[in-house]
Amino acid sequence: MEQKLRNEARALLEQGKVDWIIGFEPGSLKFTTTPLITKDKNDTERLVINPFITNNLANFLTGIKGRVGIVTKGCESRSIVSLIQDNKVARGDVVILGVPCPGIIDLSKVEKLAGKHRDELDDITREKDRVIIKVDGKTKEFPATQAIFDHCLACELPTPKEYDILLGEPTPPIASPAAQENIKKLKQMAPEERWAFWEKELARCTRCYACRNVCPACFCQRCFVEETEPQWVLPAPRWQDNLIFQIIRNIHVAGRCTDCGECERACPVKIPLRSLTREMYDIVGELFQFKSGMDKDALPLLTHYAEQEAEDLFR
Amino acid sequence: MASKKINKKDIAKLLNQWSRDFAVFAPSRESGVATMARWGGKDTGFLDWYRNTVVAPKANFLPQMEEMFRFQKDGEGYHIELPPDGEKQLIFGIRPCDARALAIIDANFKDLYQDPYYLSRRNNAVLIGLGCTSPGESCFCTSLGISPAESNDVDLMLTDIGNELLAEAVSAAGKKLIAKTSGLKAATRNDEARAKEVKKTAHNKVTRKINAEGIVERLLACFDDQGFWEKVAAKCISCGICTLLCPTCYCFDINDELIKQQGTRFRSLDSCAFPVYTKMPMENPRAEKWKRVRQKVCHKYGFFPMSFKDIACTGCGRCVRLCPVNWDITQVINSVPAKTGVKK
Repeated sequence: MEQKLRNEARALLEQGKVDWIIGFEPGSLKFTTTPLITKDKNDTERLVINPFITNNLANFLTGIKGRVGIVTKGCESRSIVSLIQDNKVARGDVVILGVPCPGIIDLSKVEKLAGKHRDELDDITREKDRVIIKVDGKTKEFPATQAIFDHCLACELPTPKEYDILLGEPTPPIASPAAQENIKKLKQMAPEERWAFWEKELARCTRCYACRNVCPACFCQRCFVEETEPQWVLPAPRWQDNLIFQIIRNIHVAGRCTDCGECERACPVKIPLRSLTREMYDIVGELFQFKSGMDKDALPLLTHYAEQEAEDLFR
Repeated sequence: MASKKINKKDIAKLLNQWSRDFAVFAPSRESGVATMARWGGKDTGFLDWYRNTVVAPKANFLPQMEEMFRFQKDGEGYHIELPPDGEKQLIFGIRPCDARALAIIDANFKDLYQDPYYLSRRNNAVLIGLGCTSPGESCFCTSLGISPAESNDVDLMLTDIGNELLAEAVSAAGKKLIAKTSGLKAATRNDEARAKEVKKTAHNKVTRKINAEGIVERLLACFDDQGFWEKVAAKCISCGICTLLCPTCYCFDINDELIKQQGTRFRSLDSCAFPVYTKMPMENPRAEKWKRVRQKVCHKYGFFPMSFKDIACTGCGRCVRLCPVNWDITQVINSVPAKTGVKK
């Protein structure tokens, strides 16, 4: 699959079908990859597909000029489709190199399974539905469902529906109830308890805005947190303002969020942000029977207007 | 003064003893992520899991956010209420990289001007260093003249020698602290030899290296090489992780919150990665991402040493391991061309 990707990517550049290739190359730390954004056909030799291709590369599309060949997992394909719906990306400007994705390995989960810090692990490999960890000369095996991200367990579209070239065989969704465990726990809490939970979690927010900046759905030229007239939230990381930031961000991406999980993964202080975004995703599904990023010809949920569905106020 | 030692089992007692005179801070995951947190009186579990904190101990001196003063309209003028002076903190377990970082930012807050907020904490504080015996894959302190288990930037340095920690006074404050602390045993020559070995082993465990040779000149020489910086910046997402969590980044923003006739002036950390950092009414000199990335690298490795001698990086590795896109400053520094032959 990897070699096929390299060949396709090189050909796209050579034939002038794209100006850029966006994919993954090996990262600088064990068990990591890093986005590769290049115009150089020789760089395509470094492209990889492995269980550590965490980033949602669709995030880079809005910042790039020209036509792009982009490595696309299911979640990325939904983000791209959502961007097409919002007229942020033209379908003709992207060549989607679809990659069926059986789930990305969550190193925090692996650390817990292995009882060791990631730096001390010798190897992590994926064999079908097993994850194999090598540590201290010993091999430990676990079901893959214990070692991949929650959002991957919940993934509804592991194989892109929208693509130009599909690399590899389609893979089915896992649909494990474990994906929603944290949200279930939160919903069972009394309101005061849940309030206290979020106060504690959001108190450590540093306002680095990584959650916003890794998010393909957060494409505003100017974010409301940067407005000064009026100032919606204090720029300093006071927990109440952090909460307002998250709530407004969540509402702004409703109907665009594809539950790719990047916000939570990127958070350096491990705030369980997906508990907010996934809940919003489910609310959108329930209220509007809408799943973001599934159909490029569908109108964007909250920014289109249909006369027959308007309330009197808007008619 | 001869060195002392203390059994790891007695660390809780020791910290409780110090709590009588200091606000003691120690590594904790109580908040949900590793920080230097107020010592809770019992849990010394950090002795097993602690590598380094996610939030650098810089936060104990330059908090992410603090009140500078409160103000209230008072006739023609304002009544100003200043916050109380900083507590007398004892930071237990600070790593040599983070202790050096404080010495580095002293250049700004202590030498360049006297920052009352920073200094009211810094001047009162006692730093107890704890040598790092398992440096991370992302750590590169040895390339910047730091050794993971040795420090001259703390008051007292501890080294893990098995069941015990060896304690060596580094400063006069450290000597004073040892003198009035009960329960410490005299270390033997064997203990000292063991500690020396531990320090050496730790040093050799740091495998990530940067080439900081002639870095100021190299950066100046390629400062205008837009192509180089665009390539370096391509995958950066302009979030604030690498700056806000950096132990040496100290840029801050000041905001007033005014409600009716009274309000509060806040100071909070800011980041040169954000486009609004340099936004001015008419223009933004660093609107493009590559210029911001260049600024970050050049400030740490170029402008700061030009102004204050030291490179403003201690190789703690936080920016490398916390970056969501694996933007790695060690790769960037190593790829800055040698001074000659850079002009195209």
